[in-house]
Amino acid sequence: MTDYFEVHERDGAARLAELRLDSPVTTPALVTDADRADDADGAGQGPDAAPEAGVAHPVLSDPGSGWATEPDAPEGDDSRLTILPARGFPAGTPDEVQDAFEPEYPDVDFPSAAVVSATTATDHGTDAYVLSGAHGLAGHARAFVDAMIGVREAIPPDTALYLPGVATPANVATLVYAGVDLVDADRAVVRGTQGRYLTVDGHQFLEDLDELPCACPACQQPREEFDREDCARHNVNALAAALKTVRRRIRDGRLRDYIEGQARHEQWLTATFRRLDQQYAYLEERTPILRQAEITAATEDTIRRVEIQRFAERVTSRYRNRFDNPLVLVPCSARKPYTDSQSHGQYHDAVQWRAHKVSMTSPIGVVPQELELTYPAQHYDSVVTGRWSANEIEFVANVLERYLERTDYPRVIAHVPEDYRPICERVEESLGTEFTYTVEDHPTTTDSLGNLASELSGELKYGKRERQHNTVRAIADYQFGDGAGDALFDDLTIRGSQPGLQAHDGDGNQLAVVVRPYGTLAFTLAGARRWVESDAPTKRVEIDDFVPHGSVLAPGIVDADESIRVGDEVVFEGPSAFAVGRAEMTGPEMARSSRGIAAHIRHVDERD
Amino acid sequence: MSQPSPEVYEEGKGMDAHNKVMREVRSRNDASYDPREPTRVWLDEDNTPDWFVTSLTIILNTGGCRWARAGGCTMCGYVAESVDGGSVAHEDLMAQIDACLDHEAENADDPAQQIKIYTSGSFLDEREVPAETRQAIAETFGDRDRIVVESLPDFVDREKIREFTEQGLQTDVAIGLETATDRVRRDCVNKYFDFADFEAACAEASAVDGGAIKAYLLMKPPFLSEGEAVEDMKRSVRRCLDVEGCHTVSMNPCNVQNYTMVEDLYHDGGYRPPWLWSVAEVLEDTADVDGIVVSDPVGHGSDRGPHNCGDCDDRVQRAIKDFDERQDPSVFDQVSCECERTWEAVVERERSYSLPLAR
Ligand code: SF4
Ligand SMILES: [Zn+2]
Ligand SMILES: [Zn+2]
Repeated sequence: MTDYFEVHERDGAARLAELRLDSPVTTPALVTDADRADDADGAGQGPDAAPEAGVAHPVLSDPGSGWATEPDAPEGDDSRLTILPARGFPAGTPDEVQDAFEPEYPDVDFPSAAVVSATTATDHGTDAYVLSGAHGLAGHARAFVDAMIGVREAIPPDTALYLPGVATPANVATLVYAGVDLVDADRAVVRGTQGRYLTVDGHQFLEDLDELPCACPACQQPREEFDREDCARHNVNALAAALKTVRRRIRDGRLRDYIEGQARHEQWLTATFRRLDQQYAYLEERTPILRQAEITAATEDTIRRVEIQRFAERVTSRYRNRFDNPLVLVPCSARKPYTDSQSHGQYHDAVQWRAHKVSMTSPIGVVPQELELTYPAQHYDSVVTGRWSANEIEFVANVLERYLERTDYPRVIAHVPEDYRPICERVEESLGTEFTYTVEDHPTTTDSLGNLASELSGELKYGKRERQHNTVRAIADYQFGDGAGDALFDDLTIRGSQPGLQAHDGDGNQLAVVVRPYGTLAFTLAGARRWVESDAPTKRVEIDDFVPHGSVLAPGIVDADESIRVGDEVVFEGPSAFAVGRAEMTGPEMARSSRGIAAHIRHVDERD
Repeated sequence: MSQPSPEVYEEGKGMDAHNKVMREVRSRNDASYDPREPTRVWLDEDNTPDWFVTSLTIILNTGGCRWARAGGCTMCGYVAESVDGGSVAHEDLMAQIDACLDHEAENADDPAQQIKIYTSGSFLDEREVPAETRQAIAETFGDRDRIVVESLPDFVDREKIREFTEQGLQTDVAIGLETATDRVRRDCVNKYFDFADFEAACAEASAVDGGAIKAYLLMKPPFLSEGEAVEDMKRSVRRCLDVEGCHTVSMNPCNVQNYTMVEDLYHDGGYRPPWLWSVAEVLEDTADVDGIVVSDPVGHGSDRGPHNCGDCDDRVQRAIKDFDERQDPSVFDQVSCECERTWEAVVERERSYSLPLAR
């Protein structure tokens, strides 16, 4: 049971949460021993104050390790997080020794943390976990990633993970990105005493600095008077500031964009987030399926992001093309949605609903016209230079190839500029097909547009009804799974207009609506019932005997589908209610958490 | 030895685990040694109750420590230097003694005043050193002033000690107590006798006129933080010298020896030998005790030995050596370095789950 920790926001494996002590602490947080609070005058500034006094939350209580002395029964209270006495295992402790000395933790009714190692981590019923041996992990991307994944999966999701003794201003964003909730200032202080001046972009020898590149209070003094003690204070300030940036980024759903740039300052941090990308399942489970925030595609690593990989995966394995017309490949536009851009307006004038438009883009891959509004197709911003890297070419060509294998077009017209040609040619070659190229010089020249129009001169236009039906079904395929569009919406009437299309059944009952900012479907109760009855894969949550209103809390959940992601449509079934809403935590979190908002309810039907 | 207690079962589990690991670690070593050569021999100087003396120190190859064959202590690589197959015959042991005498004759002007014999085990264990050999050695060195022989407390017996005192030798039995804290000795070092056994050995030795005990302590076995290690040593020095019959404590910082669990931890970033400041701190803090406290940091200044920042290691080592000689804590006022602040932060902050905080 977790009573003192609650997760509020999730951004991949990073979480914004609350350590619910007498004075609550928002995590990820910098914490320190309770007795390192402020100095006597309370300002945390006196000469004898610890460098983190007044900066870190003084909430830890550590009665000492079990190696040196027989631990007394732990005492604690609601003002602090008590680390239950245990024998900590330094890096390299053999498994046999860990097994033999594994601590047994008592059940306590105050906020508590259990010491675990990467090998022994398991659920001890505490609110937080202290990962021992972190010194052997920091600096080693593979070991760190393996340990983080192992520990996070072994301990309950609604508990805090404290990584002691390794945080620095440079690494803390990556630590949090991997799933750490609590850090201390020990390393920052120790490095300060060694004359290492730490910054988010690395570290310098204090003696090499003729100017202090920082505006924190410790650095507001003449360079000659700035000593190692000041350096320790600066390091702590820099760490605290780095954590503030991280918290802001998690709130905004944009930590990954920050990591891609910031982690580059240290090799092992770059290696860490890349290795995490290879641990796709770990990150995928924890990444929301939709968000408001924009993705900044400024580095090659963006291609490996969950959102990007997931879109490509769904477009090439779930999406079905329902048009009979030829395919027109066009370049993406900087403006989103593409339809609003000048260039796409010109393509449209030439195409006139006589072809199916698919936009090619790095880093998304390919975007069929029906999914242009669906997250993340209009939620990214990339740096366009007209020069593609080998990785981008490979990625987009791969997605296009898989896309074409799954669809069936009478013809492929590639209305793309010169720099897209190598991608198209690769796909032509590997599939043994031929594209028709219509661009001379630039896609929006009169000649190019004329070529495109005349290529399509013999084709029939498809109507608005077909377009709207196909859009709703395509979104359903994308969102709910292969075949969902047909399974859910076999008899369909559409009301409303782009982008707020409403799906009704033949009898006029509304089933779903396309939600504006995300381009995804939200069900009505009737829609949810149909979803449950259909062959489409359903995301279900079993709830206790109550009628949910507003939100469903984790303790009310009996079981939940593993496949549920944050942002997913979910149906709730219990003895007293049938409801539909949107998930705020993952299925595994719902099943294993004892605190926190699991979902928001949109519609509920009482059962009797 | 150990009293039955509710923790006995746990104790057994910990011991089994340590032994299993240590057997595996030691098995990676395939060196073997000539039974007619001592493991090591060297000349040095020591502080004793009779003031400063010249010493001939002998590490006798007696077939190694039985405990180490079962697995043994987590930091000890000595067994790696013992013969194949077990015990060494009387003639061979005496050949080793002859080789040591040759070494002394070649390298010293006068015979050493003190003889120290370590065996990587127990010199007083007759399965290791037969009674015949022990007596022969006592006679061989009867012309010296003092002798130190190493033994586990179990084998300390007033009759055996008398064999040496009868030769006119002041006789100290060196006991590798490692720490006065049973819990640390058992769970961190994996050595299985209790402080009570040490006390009994002290009583046995002091029953003989001219017999006494010299306690060897180990600073910072694996798993302890720097601060815990310092506290453990301060407590241990005082507890040892409170025992009648124990007149000297040699407190030695742990170093990283080949083929040990400590070495494995060290390689994975989970062990750092103690700071020399920690050694200084303990010597300074316990300078008021009634007895001699010395320390001989082996491999000081290297990554695998006790070390500070690299700049001050030699200076602090020299101060420790000065202290060994003069027992005057003011020697430590003469040395300082910026890294003391780092050491202070480490002592204050390091925990068994966050060690080491600094290399
Ligand atoms: S320290 Fe002594 S008892 Fe322990 S293994 Fe080494 S030689 Fe044997
Ligand atoms: Zn600063
Ligand atoms: Zn120094």
